[in-house]
Amino acid sequence: MPDGLPDAAIACDGVWQVFGNQPRQRLAEALNKAGGDAHAVAGILSDAGLIAAVRDATFEVADGELFVIMGLSGSGKSTIIRCISRLIEATAGSVLIDGEDILAASQKRMTELRRDKLGMVFQHFGLFPHMTVAENVAFPLKMQGQGAKPRRARAEEVIELVGLQGRENSFPRELSGGQRQRVGIARSLAVNPDIWFLDEPFSALDPLIRRQLQDEFLKIQATLKKSIVFITHDIAEALKLADRIAIMRDGEIVQIGTPAEIVLNPVDGYVREFSRDVAKGQHATLGSVMTPLTGAERFSGESKLRTSMTLDDALASCVLDYEPVPVCDGDGNIVGVVHPSALAAALQTSETA
Amino acid sequence: MKSTLTGLSPGARAALIALTVGALCLAFGPRIPWLLEWPSSLTVPATDWIGAGLTWFIEGIKPAARVLSAALAYPMGWANVLFVSTPWPLMIGVVMATGWHLGGWSMAALGLAGLSFVLASGYWVESMNTLALVAVSVPLALIAGLAIGILANEVPSMKRAVQVVLDVMQTVPTFAYLTPLLLLFGFGPVVGLIASAIYAAPPMARNVILGLERVEPEIKEAAIMSGGARWQQLFLVEIPTAATQIMVGVNQCLMAALSMVIIAAVIGGFEDIGWEVLLTMRKAQFGQALLAGLVIVVFAIVIDRMSGALATERRRHDRRVTWAILGLTMLVTLVTWSWLPEAGQISLLAPVADGVDAGLSEFTKANGAALDSVKNGAMFYLLLPLRIGLDEAVLPFTWGFQWTANMSLIFFALSLVIGIAFSFSGRLTAGAMVVVFAGMIETGIANLPWPFVLAGAGALGWVAGGRRLAAFAMGALALILLSGLWDRSMLSLYLSGAAVFACAVVGGLLGLSAAVSPMAWRVLRPVCDMLQTIPLFVFLIPVLMFFQIGEFSAFLAICAYAIVPMIRYTRHGLVTTPPELLEAAVASGATPWQIMWEVRAPYAAPTILLGLNQTILYAFAMLVIAALIGTTGLGQSIYLALSEADVGLGIAAGAAMAILALVADRLVQGFAEERRAALGL
Repeated sequence: MPDGLPDAAIACDGVWQVFGNQPRQRLAEALNKAGGDAHAVAGILSDAGLIAAVRDATFEVADGELFVIMGLSGSGKSTIIRCISRLIEATAGSVLIDGEDILAASQKRMTELRRDKLGMVFQHFGLFPHMTVAENVAFPLKMQGQGAKPRRARAEEVIELVGLQGRENSFPRELSGGQRQRVGIARSLAVNPDIWFLDEPFSALDPLIRRQLQDEFLKIQATLKKSIVFITHDIAEALKLADRIAIMRDGEIVQIGTPAEIVLNPVDGYVREFSRDVAKGQHATLGSVMTPLTGAERFSGESKLRTSMTLDDALASCVLDYEPVPVCDGDGNIVGVVHPSALAAALQTSETA
Repeated sequence: MKSTLTGLSPGARAALIALTVGALCLAFGPRIPWLLEWPSSLTVPATDWIGAGLTWFIEGIKPAARVLSAALAYPMGWANVLFVSTPWPLMIGVVMATGWHLGGWSMAALGLAGLSFVLASGYWVESMNTLALVAVSVPLALIAGLAIGILANEVPSMKRAVQVVLDVMQTVPTFAYLTPLLLLFGFGPVVGLIASAIYAAPPMARNVILGLERVEPEIKEAAIMSGGARWQQLFLVEIPTAATQIMVGVNQCLMAALSMVIIAAVIGGFEDIGWEVLLTMRKAQFGQALLAGLVIVVFAIVIDRMSGALATERRRHDRRVTWAILGLTMLVTLVTWSWLPEAGQISLLAPVADGVDAGLSEFTKANGAALDSVKNGAMFYLLLPLRIGLDEAVLPFTWGFQWTANMSLIFFALSLVIGIAFSFSGRLTAGAMVVVFAGMIETGIANLPWPFVLAGAGALGWVAGGRRLAAFAMGALALILLSGLWDRSMLSLYLSGAAVFACAVVGGLLGLSAAVSPMAWRVLRPVCDMLQTIPLFVFLIPVLMFFQIGEFSAFLAICAYAIVPMIRYTRHGLVTTPPELLEAAVASGATPWQIMWEVRAPYAAPTILLGLNQTILYAFAMLVIAALIGTTGLGQSIYLALSEADVGLGIAAGAAMAILALVADRLVQGFAEERRAALGL
């Protein structure tokens, strides 16, 4: 058991998902043999013909945090979200949701949790083809046992939230891809869940619609402040949305960090490979490249630079300076300096790395 | 020897093994008789055992069955009263309103036209009797099918077993299980009812399983995440989502029930339309038989199209029109009540039937010689040699000369030369096959030595699916050998084999023409639709009209029914080649015919093989029905068993038939699977 953050909404500890014959027993044997080394354990399992789709996943999602899990197809990211939501039974480990171990929960308790606390959005929408938009959105409320009238009223509320008013009585087949996912989002929000799972929600959409939905998603999250696990294979999407990102490869989480940490300090070549095409100037902030004050500096005039600025913006505002420039924090106190040449160098490494 | 064998392809090795076994049998057959004929001392009296066992079992559950039969007599009686005593204008109105509700004006018009024809034919009462049976058996079959489908879906460990049972039920010929039902329930319409419910449930169950399997995983997950209990997930989400596929099941269930209710007339009629066909056929009143057959066809088409609309139409039509049609016909019925003629009194088409009858006898009198020569030509030059081999079929009476041992030698030498020529050009498999086929034609399928059949089936199984399939094919055939039904099985194999071969050639060519020319498909498509809708029974009428009772008529009836899948699948396989493959071929400079042979045909091969597989199963299904008009072999045994209430023979022969069908099915599926894997599909 990790001594998790007091406000951790989700805490996964040592979660394994193994497919094949007698996975529990085989995993236990392999863990005994190889100890804590997840890589070696997976190797033993693979020799025995089993597949370890998720290997020793440990992470926490804080209350109200937007936690993105990023990886290529086959990296286990879809499996891990199904372990956490218990759509499949994890082979080993624990998943605490608000302190409750849901892997040990009874089916009845799971049904309760899903009715009240959990919401999920699917890559291919998972809409019920025989129900209208309003019926789809109201379905979780129906499962809660709510009457037809309050159901309809709440459905209309969330439908408006996702901007689909007027389409309540359409069938899913009559909607565009973007509209369908709006229905999926509305349905997952109908019961006002605390925990929100999104499994590649925008991957099946074309780029323009995707950006539009990402922006609206951020807007919704800014007001609702859900605890979110968001799956994606798109690094740009991860960097744009995430509070923190977990990068997965072959079932293992290789790095967890804020977008800036992922971009500026990749732990290995695999992670660096992802951020290669990302313009670092847009994601890294000035705070991560400035040098702290030594006390000897003398500055004239007012500084325009803030720690929260992106490198691109900072460079644009001091492109004519040749001397170290002071950097202020949010309150306007000078907290460090940055030399324009250092700024350019930081950007340079990102382009050649 | 071994080192040279391992260098060969599996196909070549298998062909050589079959060739060697066949040659050994031919060489030593005269001296070692058990090579040619399985000694009867080594057969087990399977027929008697099965008969005794089943009789014991049937006696045991007979009281329960009789209770069930008595219980079913009530709904049957009600349905009968409902259908027969409903005034015919109202019945027509109900069908039209249903048609409108399901598919708009075209369906309403179809209902009106269809039922008007039935009314005019003079078979209204008989038709309503049949419909009443269908109306009771279909709900039974639907509920059973749905329950079985859900069971297989909910209990994964049951799924495999359920599917095997469904497979077997589909291959056991319809007549075969009429016999035990007859003993269980006694004579009467209840047997037909139960038989049709049993026969119609598997397609429903199959489609329910398939539909539930095909529900997108994310939809199932969305239902789980919405917090639905299992029954809520199933009934509120999964079954409605699978509705389209399940409706296909309802359609097939209806058609199967109708088909079986009509076939059940062979155990004795009760004034239903199937009985009418059988009776008129026996009296050689072909005009009337044709008319009654057309009534069946009309019903089949109306039921098929309307229930088919369930699976395709999403739009529902204005309810008010439905009620208006119903109200209007109700009004008409009431207003005309006093002078409405009895449906049974109407027979506008009787003169037409008589005319057809007269015309037909004129025609057969005038062209009898020509028809006979067609029939005899096909029999003497094709079917007989295939059945008993050139050495027995070539007689002065048939071919004008006697087949001699020298001719056999020359024939074999010739095939050997061709075979060797093939193998020198690198096609060893083809070469060996030429010699094998020559041997089969010389010997005749019915006379093939059993070691050769077993080795041949084993070799095919080995090429198609490896050791397990080979073991299955040989083991299953060995069962037939032991049961003492071998000779009859070979006769069945010969007739269905001949029909399948004819269907493969003709159907393949028709499918090819339909793939090449949209015009040809426009003509063929309604013909195929029609042939697939007609209940098996009706196929017998036209062939009987022209060629009387006999093997050739049976052959034609089988071909007419079994050719459809070959045409459909061939065309479908050829036209569904991915466009980018065709573009790549065009870009490489291929001519249309090169594209057809080099790209389309290989790509279509797995699909065409599946069509062949369907054709084989259809042929076996029809073979038993064709026993009514004179075939030998298993079909005849099953039919005989039915008339003598001999459960043992009926079930044993039915099982042998099912074994043949299953072996053929698995072999062809194996080849299709292998081709598909080779194409990476």
